[in-house]
Amino acid sequence: MDNLIEMRGIQKSFGAVRALSDVNLTLRPGEILGLVGDNSAGKSTLMKIMTGAYHRDGGDVIVDGQPTNFRSPHESRDLGIEMIYQDFALCGNMDVGQNIFLGRWPRRGPFIDRKRMYAEANDVLQRLKVNVNSVYQRVESLSGGRQQSVAIARAISFNPKVVILDEPTANLSVTATDRLLETMSELKAQGVAQIIISHRLVDIFEVGDRVMVLKRGENVGDRYIKSTTETEILELMIAGTHETALTADQALARSSAPA
Amino acid sequence: MTDATILPGPGRRPGQFIGTWEAGLIGLMIALYAIGALINPAFFGTADAFHSLLRDTARFSVMAVGMTFVIVNKDLDLSVGSIYGLVGVTFAIAFDPSRGDTGLFEALAISIAVGLSLGLINGILVTLLQVPAFIATLTMLLIGRGAILGLTGGKSLYFPDKAANFPGFFQLGEINTWGFNNQIPIALVIVAIGAIVLATTRWGYETFATGGNEQAAIYAGIPTRWVRVRAYLLSALCSTIAGLMAVAQDKGATPQSGMSVELIVIASVIIGGASILGGRGRIIGSFVGSLLVGLINKVLREGLPITRTVMVNGEKTDVKAVFSLPAGAVPTLIGVLLIAAVLIEPFIIRRKLIQRAWAKIRGLPPPPPPDLGGVAIEGVQTKGAMATDRALAARGVARLFVRRDTLAILLAIVLWFVGFGLRPDYWGGLPNTFAVLLNYTELALISVGLTYVIATGDIDLSVGSVLALAGSAAAFSLKALGMSPIEAMGMGLAAGLIAGVLNGILTVGFGLPAFIATLGMYYVARGVAAWITAGQQLTGFNEGYNLIGRKVGDVIAYFHLPPITGWLGAWADVVSVQTVWLLLVSVIAGVVLGYTTIGQRIFATGGNRRAADYAGINTNRVRFMALLFCALCATMAGLINIAYFRSFNPTAGQFRELDGIAAVIIGGASIFGGFGTVIGALAGAAVITLLRALLQLNVQGYTMPQQWVNSLIGAILIIAVLADIWVRQHAIISRLWDRIRPRRREAKNG
Repeated sequence: MDNLIEMRGIQKSFGAVRALSDVNLTLRPGEILGLVGDNSAGKSTLMKIMTGAYHRDGGDVIVDGQPTNFRSPHESRDLGIEMIYQDFALCGNMDVGQNIFLGRWPRRGPFIDRKRMYAEANDVLQRLKVNVNSVYQRVESLSGGRQQSVAIARAISFNPKVVILDEPTANLSVTATDRLLETMSELKAQGVAQIIISHRLVDIFEVGDRVMVLKRGENVGDRYIKSTTETEILELMIAGTHETALTADQALARSSAPA
Repeated sequence: MTDATILPGPGRRPGQFIGTWEAGLIGLMIALYAIGALINPAFFGTADAFHSLLRDTARFSVMAVGMTFVIVNKDLDLSVGSIYGLVGVTFAIAFDPSRGDTGLFEALAISIAVGLSLGLINGILVTLLQVPAFIATLTMLLIGRGAILGLTGGKSLYFPDKAANFPGFFQLGEINTWGFNNQIPIALVIVAIGAIVLATTRWGYETFATGGNEQAAIYAGIPTRWVRVRAYLLSALCSTIAGLMAVAQDKGATPQSGMSVELIVIASVIIGGASILGGRGRIIGSFVGSLLVGLINKVLREGLPITRTVMVNGEKTDVKAVFSLPAGAVPTLIGVLLIAAVLIEPFIIRRKLIQRAWAKIRGLPPPPPPDLGGVAIEGVQTKGAMATDRALAARGVARLFVRRDTLAILLAIVLWFVGFGLRPDYWGGLPNTFAVLLNYTELALISVGLTYVIATGDIDLSVGSVLALAGSAAAFSLKALGMSPIEAMGMGLAAGLIAGVLNGILTVGFGLPAFIATLGMYYVARGVAAWITAGQQLTGFNEGYNLIGRKVGDVIAYFHLPPITGWLGAWADVVSVQTVWLLLVSVIAGVVLGYTTIGQRIFATGGNRRAADYAGINTNRVRFMALLFCALCATMAGLINIAYFRSFNPTAGQFRELDGIAAVIIGGASIFGGFGTVIGALAGAAVITLLRALLQLNVQGYTMPQQWVNSLIGAILIIAVLADIWVRQHAIISRLWDRIRPRRREAKNG
């Protein structure tokens, strides 16, 4: 299977601090990849390099087989990479439809084409199967989980190939988390690849296909969810080394090989 | 969750132009008008009355259109009244036969250029240069008013004869052939255009997004800086149009035109349903709001026909009279209205109080309270971290210079020597020194109080007005109520402290931004001061009261104490009580701020309020006490002011908020809070006082025209704020230096 995104040998330093050294990442179409690691492991930095919010010091980012060099998140968006920010980045004073099309409201002549905007917003929400009462509701009157849904709907409306979720469950209640995980499965069914950064292994084990572990800016492990356990991932997060950093396929081959 | 997936198709779309709020306002206005017609049918009952209401509010309606864009952007434009006045004055000066005597086209071009460039300056200051909107536009307000005075020399300009030659333009302010004033259709057209642009076009949507969550708007690729500059330009354009409408109507301009109009316009927009916290507002609402404020303004000014019964030669006679409110009442009430309207949005609309009450009446379960605080958390960061880093890293002499208050001290010394150089015969002498010192006391007291408020990250725009309020209360108690000096001081203190408590309650209790709460107080306190003294000067107090404005020697003589002899006695004859008092207050305030936990709490609150809250500091109490202390300082300054002048003047303390904020910022405080020293404030006050004294100096027969002084002080305030933001916070000078000399940086790192 071809990789949708391949990051090879990524290097990044902030002053004297080495944030990432020689990090690799692969993402296949329609896959949900969990990205885990301690604080300061470099998860968010890696994602920001992927979207172009940060500039890498070294290494390659290959999207659809094409080497890329994004200078801003707008360029990565054009290639179908969407990031959902931890604070949702919505305007609470505007309604759901206006937020989904924030900054690119459809127009008819000089005026906003409200009919089209709300119809399309409604379509996106239907596609996601999320429960938002009405596209006319103001976002600030929604609960945190539903705001998250609107943020995802906004990302989906760009028809992305990849959606990156940064700590999406950090501020959500249990039911809202369940709803979010359903939404993610729904997206996966539609063939959208996702990367989820989370501290909560439970969530990743529920919906993920593969999990990648970073520790102090280095790869220390890459495993298929099916063939690993939370305990193993925790061990990797705490005591992982360069030697444990096999690719998921290598790890699978090793564990299935007769001992 | 498949049961929850049924979405109603995009059914009926919500209205864009008008909502329940506007409908309620219109209802209220009809009710008010009906009451007015009942009370005073001669005035309200006629079509003329309605026509004059529309005509008089037409200009405010036009300005409210621009202001709505600014307020929805989460900005504020206090300079509209000055732009309105300055445009009129510019036109008059260019057009007047005795001044510029240009043609109509040139005069229009010049005045429109002046108006728009003021808007552009506002926009650039607020966006590119990151000056808080209220401070940038307040300074523009004061600079503009100073410029109006300076340009006109305080005299009105009228040119009815020349205007008669240009009916095409001046007809715009006249009644047309259909019998109504042309300003009404102009206003309606601008309101309609504004409503369509804000509600249905990309410009409007961008405005709502920027005001709702600027960070999200930036992520979405909206050029928020341009959106905000554009709103300031629109606001300036609307003020320019309104100013020209006034010129067309009056065939001239007066230096008073546009005074306090910003209050009416902002009140209109807020009453019209816009939120001072940004992201909400409709043009139709602002328009109805301006009609309502115009109506209230008119009702308050119009007066009530009453019949008075007077005794003439032992016989009762009915005399027709008109009861009208005294001078300060109108700004007071509109200021109160503004604050009330600001509170409506967060406390009634957002909490759905009306819907809940309605549900309760009908016995239905109330709608759930809205999820407060669900939306994007604003990034909180301790401010000024960079400047502090440099302060810690500095060594030797550099250590002195990274102290934030050093500059002010040096500047004060330099200014003193400049004065000495200009007038060696006069400057260093005792009369001048003590004149300067007396002016200094008032400003220094205010600055000490403001240091506390600014260090907690708030602002107090009402200090000058509170000064006047306290002075008027004390003067009124002395003269009209015949109180003793001590009682009168008590009354003055009480009045000032009430203002401080109100500032505190509105800011801390109701969570209003400090600038809007104290802006309300700015108008209310001065209005009340003019109200209780009926706009007159009060003089001839008990000399016992005046002692707090006298020399120490005078006090000793008053109490028939044995005179002090020797050098101490010589000092007693020149040092004033107020100087001693200032010394006492500033030593206490300085020690408290610099060396006690109270001071640490203040800096923590100003530096990062959330962190301070988490650390268990009661930041609400800290902010409340700071606002109260600031009002106390202004009150003391007011009490001393009337004692020193032996009279109360309604203009006492005018422009003192400008001086005070400038002094505190020059003295090393940051407009964003977290920094400030009393020594710095005292030095900053010295800089401003010396500057004002220098500008009044007569050097070889030349004195600066005094009308321009306030404009200059305003410019200095903006420069001080810019220097604070860019030199201290962003360290542009050292960054430039590093860029010029890269080797130095590497050597340091290596």
